[in-house]
Amino acid sequence: MKSFLENTWKHRAHVIMALPVFLILFFIMYVPMAGLVMAFKNYDFSKGIWASPWCGLDNFKFLLASKSTFISITKNTLMYYFIFTILGTFLNVVLAIAIDQFVFKKMAKVMQTLMIIPVFISYAAVQFIVYAFISTDTGILNHTFGMTTRFYSTASLWPLILTIVKIWNSVGYGSVLYMSVLAGIDTELYEAAQIDGANKWKQIWHITLPSLIPMITVMLLLSVGGIMRSDTGLFYQVTRNSGVLYSTTQVIDSYVLNAIFKNSNFGFTAATSFFQSVVGLLMMLFANGMVRKIAPENALF
Amino acid sequence: MSKRKGNAADLAPSKKEKKGLGQYILGFFLLLYTLFCALPVVLVFIAAFTDEKAINQNGFSFFPEKWSLAGINSVLRYGSQLMTSYGITIFVTVFGTFLGLLVMSMFAYSISRKEFRLAKFLSVYLLIPMLFNGGQLSGYVVFTSYYHLKDSLWLLILPLCVSTMNVIILRTYIANSIPNELMEAAKIDGAGEYRTFFQITLPLLKPSLAAVGFMMATAYWNDWQNALLYITTDSKKPLQLLLVNIQKSIEFLLNNSNVPASARAAMGGNIPQYSSTMATVLVVIGPIMVVYPFFQKYFVKGLTVGSVKG
Repeated sequence: MKSFLENTWKHRAHVIMALPVFLILFFIMYVPMAGLVMAFKNYDFSKGIWASPWCGLDNFKFLLASKSTFISITKNTLMYYFIFTILGTFLNVVLAIAIDQFVFKKMAKVMQTLMIIPVFISYAAVQFIVYAFISTDTGILNHTFGMTTRFYSTASLWPLILTIVKIWNSVGYGSVLYMSVLAGIDTELYEAAQIDGANKWKQIWHITLPSLIPMITVMLLLSVGGIMRSDTGLFYQVTRNSGVLYSTTQVIDSYVLNAIFKNSNFGFTAATSFFQSVVGLLMMLFANGMVRKIAPENALF
Repeated sequence: MSKRKGNAADLAPSKKEKKGLGQYILGFFLLLYTLFCALPVVLVFIAAFTDEKAINQNGFSFFPEKWSLAGINSVLRYGSQLMTSYGITIFVTVFGTFLGLLVMSMFAYSISRKEFRLAKFLSVYLLIPMLFNGGQLSGYVVFTSYYHLKDSLWLLILPLCVSTMNVIILRTYIANSIPNELMEAAKIDGAGEYRTFFQITLPLLKPSLAAVGFMMATAYWNDWQNALLYITTDSKKPLQLLLVNIQKSIEFLLNNSNVPASARAAMGGNIPQYSSTMATVLVVIGPIMVVYPFFQKYFVKGLTVGSVKG
């Protein structure tokens, strides 16, 4: 212990250099963790978190009793997670391989630059672009195809719309990672395969895909840790937070955001948040454990 | 050393003969996807310069019947709020990014020192927020009722300032790409810890700082959520909040078609029109479009390092 303190004192310069991040994390990340006790309290805004009376598991009972909202937002969160992850990963890989196979490298580079752009546009701006395409009176879709679809009041269309927006937003960017793996494959492998008479498809199937599998596995597992979290802007901004669409568009994160603005139902919301954080933690531990088994060098801890 | 792909000279001989039909079909599909990504952005440009009446009659279009500068002009005219918001966004982005890079690289340097025994604890301390966090609600309550930071620019800066992933990227870069001997040598020559860090480590960290810095700057530039939650005064509103407000006021007008004429008049020139809204969007996303190509090569590298550490 003494030598530990001596070591720390000797390296006090490192302590000082680490201090700002230590403090920022403490106040921004750690203190709000303690705020999760709200889930077990009957929160009273005027009293604050600590002075509000305890209420045991009442908030959670409330959660289970009014199950329609809770189940709906959890279901939506999970549904979009699965759609985005499965379809997203598939398209990331396809796009990475396609760009990698394309022999006109300069053109590929320009295309890639353009494909990545959408990820840098905030959802607050994206929603205006989406509106230009699907608004009832002035939207490009309705005008081009002579339809009168009321997109912003038809809930059943939104899983499709949000999936398209998400793909537009993230696939170009997501494929960059896989491309960097592909760039590392030894070209001699392809040359050998060619000599053995393997055509392009066979080369992709037997060389390219297998070399991507470790990265795909790791990325999929790590994403499991974020299963309860969503891209809030997509669900809050792009849908214009329209109540008519909630049945297919409201996820836990956007529900909590709305609750904060309406200043209502804090008990219910706190219980939902608690549930979200704890499930997130368990999934993260699970995911990391799996990665450790399969590819220890990629584990987070 | 084996040959690597991605280097044009290497792959030329074996692949050149393969510019067959397949390549053109592949190119066609890639072009389609590129258009899918780029056209919506192009539409912003076109709509910003389209005549308002044309949009009202024929809807948004890639080939407008009539062009007009009215949209851009009206944005420039209700300019004072736009200028304020631009100032706020630029300040938050620049200050936040530099602050974040400075404190995170100092932290990354500290925990990468093998002789520093507290480093282990600090690494765990860094990792926990990635696994578990209080969520939006308790963050909101703590920031507003305990820190009393409502309507403070600090809440735009601090929450995005430090991220575990970014520190890991920087730490990995220090551990793998900066030879420890350099730092040792500086110390033997009599440089103190701070001097070693600022004069040896920090300059060598540049590629990694560029990658992380660009990602941070985009996150700051695009952050609407913290602004929406915490900022209420006009003079502190960043650009993204301005966009959100424009959308809210459009909605208000749509949902209240019986808004009395006097109220409409009171809103004056602020009734947002399609072309001027798109012009505002253009003004908001423009700077990133301009800067991004210069940083592309850096963040591609940073992304790779961060996801597959060491």
